[in-house]
Amino acid sequence: MIDKNPAELGLSPNLSRRDFLSTAAATGALVVGFWLPQRAAAQIINPPGAAWAVDPAVDEINAWVVVAPDETVTIRIAQTELGQGVWTSNAMMVCEELQCDWSKVRPQYASANRDGREMAPEWTLEVMGKGATDPAGGGEPQFGKRGRTGIEGIPNSLYRRMRTNAASSVKDGRYYLQLAGAEARERLLLAAAKVWDVPVEEVRSSNGIITHVPTGRTTTYGQVASLAARTPHPNPHGIRIKPPSQWTLMGTEQRNLDVPFKVTGKTIYGIDVRLPGMKWAAVKTCPVYGGKVKRYDFEQIRGEPGVISAVEFPIPDPALIRERTYSGGVAVIAEHWYQAKTALDKMPIEWDVPAKNAAFDTANMQAALTAAIEKPGKVHVDLGDFDRGFARAAKIVEATYATPYLPRARMEPGNATVLVTDDRVDIWIGDQSPQETRYSASQITGIPESNVYLHMCHLGGGFGRNGNGPQAEQAIYIANQNRGTPIHLLWTREEDFISSAYRAMSVARLRAALDADGWPIALEVRTAMDEKAPGPTASFDKASRYFVPNYRFSTHPVAFHVPVGTRRGVGQPAHEFYRESFIDELAHAAGKDPYLYRRELISRTNLPYKADMIKALDMAAEMSGWGKPLPQGMAQAIALEERGAETNGNATISAQVLTVSISKQGALRLERVDVAHEEGFGLVNPLSVKKQLEGQVTWFYNDTMHQECNIKEGRIAENNFDTFLLSRINEDPPEINIAFFKTGHWLNGMGHDRATSIQSCIADAVFQITGKRYRDLPLKNHDLTWS
Amino acid sequence: MTIDLTVNGVRHSVDAAPETPLLWVIRDHLGLTGTKFSCGIAQCGACTLHIDDRPVRSCSIPVSAAAGKAVTTIEGLSADGTHPVQLAWIEFDVPQCGYCQSGQIMSAVALLKRHPNPTDADIDAEMTNACRCSTYHRIRKAVRLAASKMAGRTL
Repeated sequence: MIDKNPAELGLSPNLSRRDFLSTAAATGALVVGFWLPQRAAAQIINPPGAAWAVDPAVDEINAWVVVAPDETVTIRIAQTELGQGVWTSNAMMVCEELQCDWSKVRPQYASANRDGREMAPEWTLEVMGKGATDPAGGGEPQFGKRGRTGIEGIPNSLYRRMRTNAASSVKDGRYYLQLAGAEARERLLLAAAKVWDVPVEEVRSSNGIITHVPTGRTTTYGQVASLAARTPHPNPHGIRIKPPSQWTLMGTEQRNLDVPFKVTGKTIYGIDVRLPGMKWAAVKTCPVYGGKVKRYDFEQIRGEPGVISAVEFPIPDPALIRERTYSGGVAVIAEHWYQAKTALDKMPIEWDVPAKNAAFDTANMQAALTAAIEKPGKVHVDLGDFDRGFARAAKIVEATYATPYLPRARMEPGNATVLVTDDRVDIWIGDQSPQETRYSASQITGIPESNVYLHMCHLGGGFGRNGNGPQAEQAIYIANQNRGTPIHLLWTREEDFISSAYRAMSVARLRAALDADGWPIALEVRTAMDEKAPGPTASFDKASRYFVPNYRFSTHPVAFHVPVGTRRGVGQPAHEFYRESFIDELAHAAGKDPYLYRRELISRTNLPYKADMIKALDMAAEMSGWGKPLPQGMAQAIALEERGAETNGNATISAQVLTVSISKQGALRLERVDVAHEEGFGLVNPLSVKKQLEGQVTWFYNDTMHQECNIKEGRIAENNFDTFLLSRINEDPPEINIAFFKTGHWLNGMGHDRATSIQSCIADAVFQITGKRYRDLPLKNHDLTWS
Repeated sequence: MTIDLTVNGVRHSVDAAPETPLLWVIRDHLGLTGTKFSCGIAQCGACTLHIDDRPVRSCSIPVSAAAGKAVTTIEGLSADGTHPVQLAWIEFDVPQCGYCQSGQIMSAVALLKRHPNPTDADIDAEMTNACRCSTYHRIRKAVRLAASKMAGRTL
């Protein structure tokens, strides 16, 4: 056996709390340093490519900014990089105001432990300006509910919301990240003025270089950083942030700062964490949710190579994971993960399966949803006189749509490495909700949150906060039973499918009364899904987005057993499929052009941003050459996407035209996507936004064409990529055109609910080409041939 | 049992069961974590590395099958991240979460060995790695750029 320990592999074990290394690889450097656990049994390794918080070698200017003598600027990132570019865009917001040299910026995760012990500076709490429509202000942050204790975290804690969700890193964080950069700059200038004994008004900075304007003397941020760290700001409430008209870095296309690590295999994801003395855990949980272990026989595998022990774990406390009930299970611990997994596969396990949950299957759940739709539901919106509207109808159109359970299926299977000692918990994990995990660790181990340390890793895909499932809770439980030994839990792909939160399966029935000209005079929307599904009113709340004088929207909840959560876009993707598909059907019934039909119905509304919605439709139509003749077997479809259009606050509005071809044999291809997308007052990193849009085109293509999870005997039937299908490069559209347009409000966000209308557009193109209208996804279940 | 492996030009003797997938020997015995685990059934390609210059799904190849052969992982592609494929990936800012990209890059390098000037059909046929962030649009552009770089052409 010649296994090498990490030090022999060139990784640097930490030596002392203040030990500090800065490696300047050709690709850029990360601060590597270390953090000695107070009484932890193992040393912590900080390989290049690890991004977690470390104590800096020099004093910080503020909680977001550390400037080292070598001019390296460490910027703390409180959200998690999972491909959305937050590693770069958050740093850009700080750097814009700091006026440091962008090439010297090194992002690093903010410490969730420190967040549990310190409060945000009081001067960062007040959002300046007049809300979402004020370009000079802080926008309209929506921190959401924060309780004093529990999973919601501490209100106004140091790093505010550390959750990576709801496209909020820019929406919530922009103003205080800009403030943090501005405060640091002003203190660096004060320090330089003090050194030179000149008035601060005579001192300017650019690119990390400070100049005394009258004499031309210069110094650098690195040279005065130590003094700046000891120089308080005399009036932090007086700090102003730059409006978009003054941005110089924000608004420019910047490549993601972690890409050089990602093309060399150096990025440390949770799965890559290696600690001295670490053991691996493979787990199996009861495949029927709510089940647990009845018995298992460890004696059968005790002698297998590398096997150390087995640990049974209970159903994770739903109170820790947003009331989702997963399953109990058993872990096998071994020297290597593959040994643990192989032995676990051989170990006899008997499950205690709840009969009620095992009775669920897709067919009876579908029937339950359809039945619920028929019964009275919970009415959320009831405008006008709905029944009178129908009484006057020249034509009634009704359609029932359905979408399946969908998992996130990120590429990195769930994992976490946990070391519990008598007074401290250390967790190495890629996590979208570190504050919640901090709380979970405390609840499971009885060790206070102030002694819980999260060493954050990049995530190999996220696609839904806390949809990450109970990876941390399982690992903490197992490590707590093995105090003093770092335990690295890793799920198989199959286990990742069991322990994922799903987008709820749902059914929608839309019914409209049209007048003699084909315009809707009454609309009823009914949706049915699991009662615990998040975002049940998205896209239909407050008002119909398309004008109709009489409108009623009701939800019809049903109780199922599958854990449902915030998969990419939450409630919106399914609802936009329903809404936009139905508008296509109404336009068809009215014999009108679906672009002009939408345009007219939006123009009749009182929606605050209707001009932006019309602009998006017009631009997308123009970009795509809408209306020009197409060859047989080809079609174009259009749709509108919005988030927040019913309010006069944050909103994100876009429209797209999809050009689709279908062969007579039924082979469908996206030929071209034209997206007209608003940029509000300004995008932080337009390159990152383009990448998100390109990715979401394919994401929702997959939802439309391939992906579903069925339930059989209470279990998830599709649990790996042979049955749960992922498209490859051959299905990527050859042409994706993205154009931005400015509007007069801050964006609601960009991260997760764009390009949803790929779904309705494909379905409508299928109808145009084949004459078949399919209202349930995915389309792989349907015949797309035509003649 | 002891198995002799040459990985990125370095000879190793590894004590592992011969049926252990090559992936786990690379990741856990040799500590080369750039090659990723995702599906375990040779579907997604996150674990793609080269055996004698041919791309393989290392999650489903026993380590014994690599004995005596030359294994190359992402860490062995270049000393400093300057392989033309890596540079093209940086230029187009390809990765999002990045988890599949080691495998994508190893597939692209193998593709360009077989097809120095690949057509779209070549790319479609041989780049069969899955990307959940759907970076395919930029992967295609980067493969073309890398081909140009390797041929000394400008795109």
